[in-house]
Amino acid sequence: MKQFKLTKDQIQKLGLSAIGFVVLIYVYFTFFLGPLNDSRDTMLATITDVQGKMASSKNEMMKTANLEKQASNATSRFAALKALSQEGAPIAWFPPRMKTFFANQQIDKASARLEGNAAFKEPDLANWMRYNWLIELPQADFSTLGTAVAALENTEPLLSITKITIHALPDDPQFQQISLSASTAILKR
Amino acid sequence: MALHLNLLHEEILEQRQRQRDPLKIGIMVLCFLGVLMVFNYMWKGYKTLEIRSRLNQVQADWAKIEPKVTAAQKRSAELNSIISTTKVLDGMIDDRFFWGPFLEKLSRCVALNAQLTSIEGTVLEDNRLSVSIEGLAAGREPRAAAEELRQLLIEQLGQSYNDVKVEFKALEDLDTIVKIGGGNMAMARFSLGVTFNTGVAKPPPVPVRKSKQ
Repeated sequence: MKQFKLTKDQIQKLGLSAIGFVVLIYVYFTFFLGPLNDSRDTMLATITDVQGKMASSKNEMMKTANLEKQASNATSRFAALKALSQEGAPIAWFPPRMKTFFANQQIDKASARLEGNAAFKEPDLANWMRYNWLIELPQADFSTLGTAVAALENTEPLLSITKITIHALPDDPQFQQISLSASTAILKR
Repeated sequence: MALHLNLLHEEILEQRQRQRDPLKIGIMVLCFLGVLMVFNYMWKGYKTLEIRSRLNQVQADWAKIEPKVTAAQKRSAELNSIISTTKVLDGMIDDRFFWGPFLEKLSRCVALNAQLTSIEGTVLEDNRLSVSIEGLAAGREPRAAAEELRQLLIEQLGQSYNDVKVEFKALEDLDTIVKIGGGNMAMARFSLGVTFNTGVAKPPPVPVRKSKQ
């Protein structure tokens, strides 16, 4: 059998070739293939992310469409309740509204005075304020008062009478002097 | 056997050594590898470009959908807020105490020989109502007339409210005499304290028939 004997020069050349090989592999993977793979992986991750978002967005849009159908009653009811709060400061429009209301109920000289206002504790009512009023009716007969109070409770769903005081007039016991403490929920404008 | 002389021995050896030059072979191998790597890089680059175009397509689709999704999310939050606010407001509306029916019942209880001079009613925090009623009763037995009013109040209010209590705070005879229906009647002043739960009265329990065994 023939033996290969490498000379010193050949060994040096072989070493040089091996170094060249290592450098080539390093440069290829580090400066060419590596960044390309990184970029590809980033793009694939972005595609997966966006596709996930698109899939969930379709669900989201379907849910919103269903919610829109389910909430039609609540939306119209909310709009009706919202319409009870007029534009501007409540002290500007609520007392005249009460005066007109009681005048339509045959009770004259009604007056409403603001006693205070406060925010609601419920987080869902963050856009609403509670206003406390003192409504005074200097003269009314009992049956007219009863009808007026019932009408007020029916036409003003957000108004709640918390205290009622009725005193017979000393000079004319047929008529009474009435004061109502009422609280209303009014939308912040 | 003929003698064979190779006079080109040195030249042939030199040529063989040139052919087996490790540097030359190494460079050839490196070149070959380099070509393979270039092809591989180009293939990978082509694939990456394909992915980039797919990404651009997906991003363009998302850009079209995103405003709609954002609007849908905003609307969804708005609707949820409307639903919960309406629920709370409806709860408040339903939990109100309606004074109209109460005043009507009160007026039904007052007979001709009684007169109410003062009514003070307050809705308490624990869904209870407290009413203070002052008035005058006339009759041969004015105290009995006042008691009749108290009994009537218990009966009438008990039909609509729970836990009705009507108690005398004060009941005193007056010296004043009034004429009612042509007859002179004595008078009494009374003060009643009324309390009840503002919730609707529960219907009386239905008697359960025991089955015969």
